[in-house]
Amino acid sequence: MAALAIPRLGQWLMLRFQPFIPIFVLVSLPGGLLRSSTRADEHQQLFQTFCIDCHQGAEAESNLDLSELLSQSEFDAEVVFENLATQKMPPAEAKQPNSKERLAMLDWLAKRHASSQSPQFRRMSRHEFVHSINDLLGTELDLADRIPEDRGTYDFDSDRRIKLSPQMLGSYFGVAQEILDRALPEQGFAREQRWVTNKLMDSHKTYNIYVRDYKDGLLFSWTRANNGNSYSFFYDNFDPPVSGWYELTFEAAKVGDLAGDVSIQVHSGKYYYADDRPQPQRLLDVLSVGSDSLQKYSTRVFLNPGENVSVHCFSDENFRKKDPQKGAYIRQLEVRGPLQDAWPPSRYRALFGELPVRTEGDVSEGKLAVEIQRSQSTNDLRYISNLRRIGGTTTVSSAQAGMEKERLQDGSNLTFWHTRFKPTLAEPPHYVILENPTKHEIEGLSYAAWSGGNGNGLVQQYEIYFSEDGTSWVGPIVSGELETRLANEQPIRFPRSTKSRFIKFLITESFSIDGRSLASIGKLDVMVNFEEASISRSKVIVDSRDAEHLKQVIRRFAERAFVSELTEADLSPYYDAAINTLNAHDDFVQAAKVGFKAVLCSHRFLMAPGEHSSAALAQKATLARTLWLSIPDDDLRASERSLADQIDRMLQDDRAERMLHSFCDQWLNLRSWNRVSPSLKLYPRYDDLLDYYLPLETKAYLGHLIRENMPASHLIDSDYSFLNQRLAKHYELDDLQGQQLRKVSFPGEVQRGGLLTMGSILKVTTDGFDTSPILRGAWISKNIVGTPVSPPPASVKAIEPEHGSESDSLREQIESHKNNETCYACHKSIDPYGFALENFDATGQWRSQYRVEKPHQGTFTFRRQGYYRLAGKVDAAGEINGQPFLDVSGLKEILQSKHRNIAYNFVKKFFQYATGSKPTMQQRVEMLSRIHRTQGENRTKDLVVLALTLALEQSGFRQ
Amino acid sequence: MNEITRRRLFKAGAALPLALHALHCRAEDKPKSKQAPRRFMFICNSLGFYRPNFLPKTRGDLSTSRYLKDLSTQEKLTVFENFFHPGMETSNHDSEKSFLTGAPKPEAPNFANSISLDQLIASKVGRETRFSSLPLSIYDRGWGCSWNDRGVAIPPMSDPSQIFDMLFGAEDLSVKRNQIREDQEVLRCLHRDLQQLKDAGGDGAKIASYENVIVEFEKQLSHQEFWLNAKKPEVDNTLSNDVEFEFSTKVKNLLELAKLAFQTDSTRVITFSMDWIYGAIRVPGATGGWHTLSHHGGNQEKLAKLCQIESNIMLHLNDFLSELDSIEEGGGSLLDNTTVVIGSNFGDSSNHTCNNLPLIVAGGGFRHQQHVIFPKPTHLCNLWLELLLRSNLDIDSFGSSEANMGLLS
Repeated sequence: MAALAIPRLGQWLMLRFQPFIPIFVLVSLPGGLLRSSTRADEHQQLFQTFCIDCHQGAEAESNLDLSELLSQSEFDAEVVFENLATQKMPPAEAKQPNSKERLAMLDWLAKRHASSQSPQFRRMSRHEFVHSINDLLGTELDLADRIPEDRGTYDFDSDRRIKLSPQMLGSYFGVAQEILDRALPEQGFAREQRWVTNKLMDSHKTYNIYVRDYKDGLLFSWTRANNGNSYSFFYDNFDPPVSGWYELTFEAAKVGDLAGDVSIQVHSGKYYYADDRPQPQRLLDVLSVGSDSLQKYSTRVFLNPGENVSVHCFSDENFRKKDPQKGAYIRQLEVRGPLQDAWPPSRYRALFGELPVRTEGDVSEGKLAVEIQRSQSTNDLRYISNLRRIGGTTTVSSAQAGMEKERLQDGSNLTFWHTRFKPTLAEPPHYVILENPTKHEIEGLSYAAWSGGNGNGLVQQYEIYFSEDGTSWVGPIVSGELETRLANEQPIRFPRSTKSRFIKFLITESFSIDGRSLASIGKLDVMVNFEEASISRSKVIVDSRDAEHLKQVIRRFAERAFVSELTEADLSPYYDAAINTLNAHDDFVQAAKVGFKAVLCSHRFLMAPGEHSSAALAQKATLARTLWLSIPDDDLRASERSLADQIDRMLQDDRAERMLHSFCDQWLNLRSWNRVSPSLKLYPRYDDLLDYYLPLETKAYLGHLIRENMPASHLIDSDYSFLNQRLAKHYELDDLQGQQLRKVSFPGEVQRGGLLTMGSILKVTTDGFDTSPILRGAWISKNIVGTPVSPPPASVKAIEPEHGSESDSLREQIESHKNNETCYACHKSIDPYGFALENFDATGQWRSQYRVEKPHQGTFTFRRQGYYRLAGKVDAAGEINGQPFLDVSGLKEILQSKHRNIAYNFVKKFFQYATGSKPTMQQRVEMLSRIHRTQGENRTKDLVVLALTLALEQSGFRQ
Repeated sequence: MNEITRRRLFKAGAALPLALHALHCRAEDKPKSKQAPRRFMFICNSLGFYRPNFLPKTRGDLSTSRYLKDLSTQEKLTVFENFFHPGMETSNHDSEKSFLTGAPKPEAPNFANSISLDQLIASKVGRETRFSSLPLSIYDRGWGCSWNDRGVAIPPMSDPSQIFDMLFGAEDLSVKRNQIREDQEVLRCLHRDLQQLKDAGGDGAKIASYENVIVEFEKQLSHQEFWLNAKKPEVDNTLSNDVEFEFSTKVKNLLELAKLAFQTDSTRVITFSMDWIYGAIRVPGATGGWHTLSHHGGNQEKLAKLCQIESNIMLHLNDFLSELDSIEEGGGSLLDNTTVVIGSNFGDSSNHTCNNLPLIVAGGGFRHQQHVIFPKPTHLCNLWLELLLRSNLDIDSFGSSEANMGLLS
């Protein structure tokens, strides 16, 4: 009999029981409990009463002989403990211990739990490293991606079993250096500039269906590439001169009768000529344009040189409907940057204190001078050809009225130059002469055919000649053929660049329907290399050569970074590193940077969490690391608030967003977000915007539960979430306008609310094609219910359940394992959770029927209606631990009835997230004793505080 | 022309020691009998090859293939029929992103790639050479065949003179050297602080674990420092500057650079993304938009031009292979120590289909079978896995691999 196991499940299910870390914590149990747990035989008696009947001898249930196990002085008690704690045991139909008895039994087990030695310390994770350095230096550089992921198969970044490797240290050295160099650049800071543009990079002009000239700017009507991707359109005239923060301001309005806002997706990436193959781009932000009148929409983004800004304008209503009258009108893009928070940047004061700081370079009135750079005046933002930019002009052999030479240079290949055919036919030779009066270096010509006509006059062969006087010509320098059916520009490169005054483009062969001698050209321009004006920079200099000053600077920095008070002896190696550099290079900031780097790469920083000069500082360090992924700020360091107040204040701070992000990534596995790509054939409406907002919903929701101390039962169910226009559409709710996430109540009949029915969770628990009740069931079991799942036995033959299979329904395939006891033992408490979610497809949309993929012919072309047929009806009913349910709301009720287990699991996960280790049995007893029996009384923030309190006791006692 | 330019490579003659060799000699007085390094080259021709011209018409007989019949190294290569990557049904041109990674559905809006096999190999052998790998492409678009362990594209280089400069040109070493000195200053500081903590009775195990890591890191730094000291190989600039056939010259030059890089042991892993852009390209005998022509739809006129372009590419590949084979190394030829994979993400670019991918494995010292036809479609990742295992990587799967099929021996 084939057992059911999916290889892909391997990682999900690999929650092996790990030995616990022995931490000697004096847990004070609530009154009454200790009194009742004085004599060992009393406990023996309790186990005798409630457990031993079934669990003894050779015939013991689940092969667990408790009478034998419990007689040992030390044993692995985890399974027994967890089953007892979560009331899985004794089984519902058996006699139950009361809560005091249960706690006493757990306490007794905890004391006998055998644990093996595990590392006592944890390293800093890469996210904590980068956030901490940013906070220390006053920078905002997201460089965590430069450091390899070292989490391996563990759930939490903080896991103590992860060891620092030389490769990791190498990347810590590299990233520390990079952030220091950007924070305190030796060559100075690039001056802030301003660019204004309403022009797109060339080839986009050919996609005139999607974007066209409109009023003073451009109208983006609709875009969706034929394979389902977004086209984005690159703005010209702005290339970030240096890496840094820039402010992008779009002056935009909604055009046409569109319900809802139009979204401007702002990307950055490398512009590339073959743009129907979308290049890897970063989605920087989404701007929601709701007004018919021009408004300014700004965003602050980080850009690197070579990363151009592009936009994709999206409205669901306009989606793939070719209506060039509707869309987003963007009058212009204005860019300002690179931005500094003050001049000189405020970090100089924070790092160097009162030491005198002066600036060198072009500075006016204490501010970094702003230079306005544009090639065009605000009143004339029209297309300007390269030839015009270098002051050149064109002459043509002849021109037909309405098809004059100016049309070669207007940036469009819909308008064109044509040789004269009325009233008389112009005789060959046909040619265009480009004049270069400023003697600019020209690398070649850029040609584009007239697009959209009958083909008359299209150039097939050409020759190019140079001249200094316009009469005697040298050449042909280049000759060749051109494509007639290609709308894009065809570059013609000269063998070497020329400064010749005259360049003649001679047409030697052209297409003609009726044999007349004609020539036409859509665009003809020169290719020139505009020398980047060298970036003007201003230096910031700390006026000191004094080693004592340097020591003060290093001390202040080290004390903040190490969250410790340090002696002169402690610091002397760090002092010396800086002072040696000062002696060698005579540059104060350079020397300080070496000292800072030593601090940032020190074991006191990288390996120190939990090891500080006092228990009070250790606690603050733990709080800051857990809630902000950083170091304490001055306020926290000086604070004498109560723990609860302190946590409250820290949660309200923006830095707590980092924790929400990390915790969702690690606990709910949202970090695997991009590993799952919904099939475009089955889910054609899944787009970038949805992909962007789904995880944000979950983060906003969890943030709300924690910050507002909402009932922990809202993890399972509530009647609200945080939605916007796109998400409301996805969930088939009433229209919302605008893409700002806001709290929205669900109508009664909607089966949403809580984590399980969120699109993000539903998507991340599938493979993008079909839903898998097993994957989803395992996810709920592990992350929400807190029952660890063991991997399938090595010998079983795997079955891949498929919706497409005609013979058995998916349910039948999965339920086949009921016939196999080995499989059923575990799967009976995994799969049913997943079945309850079968009403949600792989993108989290409601469904009552499955979709089965259909093939497509030849080249895949995106279709709004996808490629699928509807198949069998969804059946979401099931039974978990003897309790039947009809659908997801039934399952939610069952889970709510176990609300203490849900709360207990949440505390355990947060504890593990914070400390990198599972709670000890003793800590679990403490957790259980503090979780309320009444559902509404367990509140999310209280549970976070409980986890943190235990984590803090742990770090406090390690002094 | 071949005989003259290819032999007179080194100013210092063939005796110029390999830089790596020098590294070993430092450690041991007598050089061991030298084992030639194993190298890898992966070429992805992103518009594929016209199948009827590419595949042999008679099983096992390469002379029945229009493109392969003139290859002079036929004895040292194998053509595989019926390889594919699963999950590319709707990928169109995006399939190119997954050629060396096997990651499915590269067209999806939220696609995240995985590591490419060249980078896995480089992670193993990259530290032996000045450049851990060398990704190349024809045009400068920011991505090619190589993707790092985070699925991020490693931007390939496309400017031959820039690449030549990087490989063989003189450079200003003072900045880098200064950086290494500063890092060594930092490491001295950290050693001292660890000693302090040890003396004060700190947590021994924790201190030891960190100390081990910084000692390892110190070795890495000295490796870097060594490469700063090691002079770059001196090589004649043999790049062509023919401008009449710009595209053709580019392919030829990039292959020439790959050969020079291998020959001087500057790197052991190279990828070459043969990318296209809109616009006409010129090769001897044809001018036209490569992409436009690739959608030939069976039109004879278009096919004639397309085949001129593809034949031109094959001509350069043939030169490359035979030149590698003409360079002696370690008892065999450079080709015997270099596994060259030539393939494409498209089986048929006219229809954008990604089944039956063209694929050649050449060199590498394998006993080649010239022509292997799989009875049913076979995951290309099986071959990738085999190449990884042959590079002594400790893995049991790669991408969509099912098994090591033992195709090369």
